Amino acid sequence: MSYQGTKVNPSKFHTSQLKFYAVLIPLAFFMMLPIVFIISHAFKPIDELFAFPPRFLVQQPTFDNFRDLFVTTSTSGIPFSRFIFNSLLVTVSVMFLSVFISALAAYAMAKMKFKLRKAMFEINTLALMFVPIAVQIPRYLVVDQTGLLDTYFAHILPLLAMPIGLFLLKQFIDQVPEELKEAAIMDGASEFTVFRKVIVPVIKPALATVAILAFQAVWNNIETSNYYVNDESLKTLSFFMSSVASGSGNTIAGQGMSAAASLLMFVPNLVIFILLQSKVMNTMAHSGLK
Amino acid sequence: MAKLKISNKRRKAVIGVAFVSPWIVGFLIFTLYPMLYSLFLSFHQVKITPVGVKTKYVGFDNFNYAFFSDPVFVEKLLNYLMEMVLNVPVIIVFSLIIALLINQKIKFRGMFRTIFFLPVIITSGPVINELLSQGASSIPNIEQYGMFTLIESSLSPILAEPILYLFKQIIMVLWFSGVQILIFLAGLQKVDRSMYEAARIDGASPWESFWKVTLPVLMPLVIVNVIYTIVYVSTFALNEIILLIKNNMFSTITGFGYATAIAWIYFIIIMLMLALWTGVLRMKKR
Repeated sequence: MSYQGTKVNPSKFHTSQLKFYAVLIPLAFFMMLPIVFIISHAFKPIDELFAFPPRFLVQQPTFDNFRDLFVTTSTSGIPFSRFIFNSLLVTVSVMFLSVFISALAAYAMAKMKFKLRKAMFEINTLALMFVPIAVQIPRYLVVDQTGLLDTYFAHILPLLAMPIGLFLLKQFIDQVPEELKEAAIMDGASEFTVFRKVIVPVIKPALATVAILAFQAVWNNIETSNYYVNDESLKTLSFFMSSVASGSGNTIAGQGMSAAASLLMFVPNLVIFILLQSKVMNTMAHSGLK
Repeated sequence: MAKLKISNKRRKAVIGVAFVSPWIVGFLIFTLYPMLYSLFLSFHQVKITPVGVKTKYVGFDNFNYAFFSDPVFVEKLLNYLMEMVLNVPVIIVFSLIIALLINQKIKFRGMFRTIFFLPVIITSGPVINELLSQGASSIPNIEQYGMFTLIESSLSPILAEPILYLFKQIIMVLWFSGVQILIFLAGLQKVDRSMYEAARIDGASPWESFWKVTLPVLMPLVIVNVIYTIVYVSTFALNEIILLIKNNMFSTITGFGYATAIAWIYFIIIMLMLALWTGVLRMKKR
């Protein structure tokens, strides 16, 4: 990155950029396609949804899918706002708690010395590789035995231990120079103060990344509603949306509603992403990770 | 004095354990115990009844069935292995190139960084589901433009085969590299600029200084990324083997016991794959 900075002649500097654009712009275009597709798909009228071969862009946009979805949701027994509340509560708690718990554990495993810390991290890495759905039934038994069935905790607790979060955070904390911590300890800071005042600001990009991943995992999760919660009024928005689309009996209208529902469910993903990613990118340059 | 030192050390250990304990509790209850329980189930025939789970010990029957009787498992496993051998290096090299490019001082750098980080929200949501079901993950048109026949006729089949495969996979590769690009980018910003200047004064070309300065610094992150990529691709919810496990879970013929047996075989294969890749990379490093 330093080469361009050392060049003096600005016009030469400009043409040297062209080759980067030649590669980056087409690729960036590819990256945007899924999002264009998901938006365009939601506005397709029925005949375009089922067109073969499938068309990428909508030709005659219509709000029918959204209207159908709205009509169906307003006729269900439980008010729509209830599902939104459930989802918000569950998502916010999991995001904050899992990031906090993983960061604390990652800090301890990277920068503190105690028995078994290496072994713990290895076990975590192994757990990463395990197929998540294979633990579904044993997990159900745990949730059942601990009496968490039909509570909000059934949505929250199983998702808190996030192996991938711990994995990424520890890798980032490993890169933080030991001197930063030593200096703070010299000044009389406790381990928790070091964590809060030194480590957290430095690894903000990683925290934001893990927060995005955690949000994805919770917000889109329909398994907890499916398996651990029988009480309709405790289920989450994502479950409700998927059941509206598939359970309406009419599969043709269901396709349209499901396209509209996935767009609506996707918008918060995009918003969270845009809000957090600026943190990811901006802080990285000043993070002291040198 | 010595006594004080020991107790100080112990105190530190206690704080350390206190920091990890919330994580340990959650991990033991909701991840490790269910994993071990599924290992137990893989040696059993499992019947799920309204009263509870009924198990009957069957030894290695489930594992034997997977390798010798299941019509699709072995084939899917081989496919998976080929995919991993080809895709992992491609994803790593691709994300490294993108990271190097968007680390340059160019206009709209921030925008490009955002766009290349987008896959994080695409591949882990319902979006990918919709896209895959619509067949949007391959480029249908290249086959029609005669590019495929051109490659096939001008190269030997040994070379043409992987190239064609990569073309078909290119979009998937792009979508799986969001976090890897981020990790490389963080690593690139760690590289000391004065090292480049020193290399330049010594007459190194950008190409040389990439191999001699940038890559050694990034090496530990390459390993991190290899682990991340293998894990991400292998446990991706729409992966063929995962779908197979899912189908067997509630199947009346095979059942959950068999599903956990495949899951464990798969798990062990992923571990071997990981050991292989990291082993190769560590050897190179020396």
